[in-house]
Amino acid sequence: MIGLLGLFIKLSLFSLIAFGGVNALLPTLYDISVNQEKWIDADTFIHYFAIAQAAPGPNLLTVTLIGWNAFGLAGALLATLAVCWPSCILIFYLQRVLANLQHIRWKKTIEYSAGALAVGLVLASAWQIAERINGNAMAYALTVFSIVFVLVSRKHPLYLIGLGALLGLLGFV
Amino acid sequence: MQHSPGHLFITFTFIGLSGFGGVLPWARRTLVEQKKWLSAQEFNALLGVCQLVPGPNIVNLAVCVGQRFGGLRGAIAAVAGLMLAPMTVVILLALLYDHYGQFEQVQGMLRGISAVGVGLIAATGFKMLKEELSYLPMLIVIAISIVMATVFHFALGWVVTITLPLALLFAWNKAK
Repeated sequence: MIGLLGLFIKLSLFSLIAFGGVNALLPTLYDISVNQEKWIDADTFIHYFAIAQAAPGPNLLTVTLIGWNAFGLAGALLATLAVCWPSCILIFYLQRVLANLQHIRWKKTIEYSAGALAVGLVLASAWQIAERINGNAMAYALTVFSIVFVLVSRKHPLYLIGLGALLGLLGFV
Repeated sequence: MQHSPGHLFITFTFIGLSGFGGVLPWARRTLVEQKKWLSAQEFNALLGVCQLVPGPNIVNLAVCVGQRFGGLRGAIAAVAGLMLAPMTVVILLALLYDHYGQFEQVQGMLRGISAVGVGLIAATGFKMLKEELSYLPMLIVIAISIVMATVFHFALGWVVTITLPLALLFAWNKAK
C-alpha cells in the first residue's frame, strides 16, 4: 500500500517536470524507476520501452508497464493516472483562459508562438528518440524512408509498421 | 460544433489504437485530414499550447479537443478513449513478452517497428513545419530550439524558456 502511494506521488511529480512529454525526459524516468526506487531492472526497462513504442497508443505506456512490473494491475492503473492528472488539470484551465482572451492580436500571438515551439519540440524529440533506439545504419535508413514515405505517399502508414517488423524479424535492424 | 462524449470516446479510441510509435501522427491524420474537426493551423496552435504544459502532450491534446467539442465530459471521454484500449493491449503484450521476449526475432521486430515509429513522429514534425512557411522568420526560432535540444542537450524546459521571448516577438509581428 505504501509502495503504491510512493509510485503515485513520485510519478505525479515526474509528470510536473516533464516538459515536452514523457519521452523527452526518459533518462529521468530511468533514473527514478531503476536507480532510486528499484521498481524495475535496467534490461526490463529498455525492453518495456521498446514494447510501448511498438504497441499502439501513447508513448507514456512505458510508465504503465513500469507500474505493472512493480505492483501488477493496480500499479499499471495508478502509474498511468499519476503521469496524466497534473497536466490534464493544468491544460484544462489554460485552454479556458486562452479561449476567453478578448484581445485578438494577443491571442494569435500566443497561438503562433506556441505553434512554432511545438514544431521545434516535435522535430527535436524525434531526433533524440532516434539517437536512443536506432542501433545501426539500417535502422536510420528505415527511419528516413518512413519520413519520405509519409510525406510523399498517401498510403496508410501501417504498411510501414509491417515493413519495419519484417526487416527486424529478418535481422536487418 | 459539439460532439457527444460517446463520439469523442470512440474517435479517441481509434486514434489511440492506430497510434503505432506515437499517437501524434495519427491524431493529426484523424482530426485534421479525415474528420476535419481542426484546420492545420488550429492543430499546430493547440498542440503548441499543449506543449507549454508539462506531461504527456497527447493526453493534453485529448483534453483540449475533448473540452472544445464536449466540455468537461468531452475531455474525460477523450482521455479515457485514448488510454483504455492501448493500456489493455500493452499489458497483454507485456504478458506475451514474459514468455517470448528472449527470442532474437521478437527483439528484432520491436527494433524495426521502433525505427519506423520515429520516422512517423519526424514526418508529423515536417508536415507541421509546412504551416510555418507562411512566415519565414519563425523558422529561426524552430531552428534554435532544435539545435539547443539535440546538439547541446538542453532540457526542454530551458529550450522553451530561452526561445519563448523570440517566438513571442515574431508571433506578435505575424499576427498583425
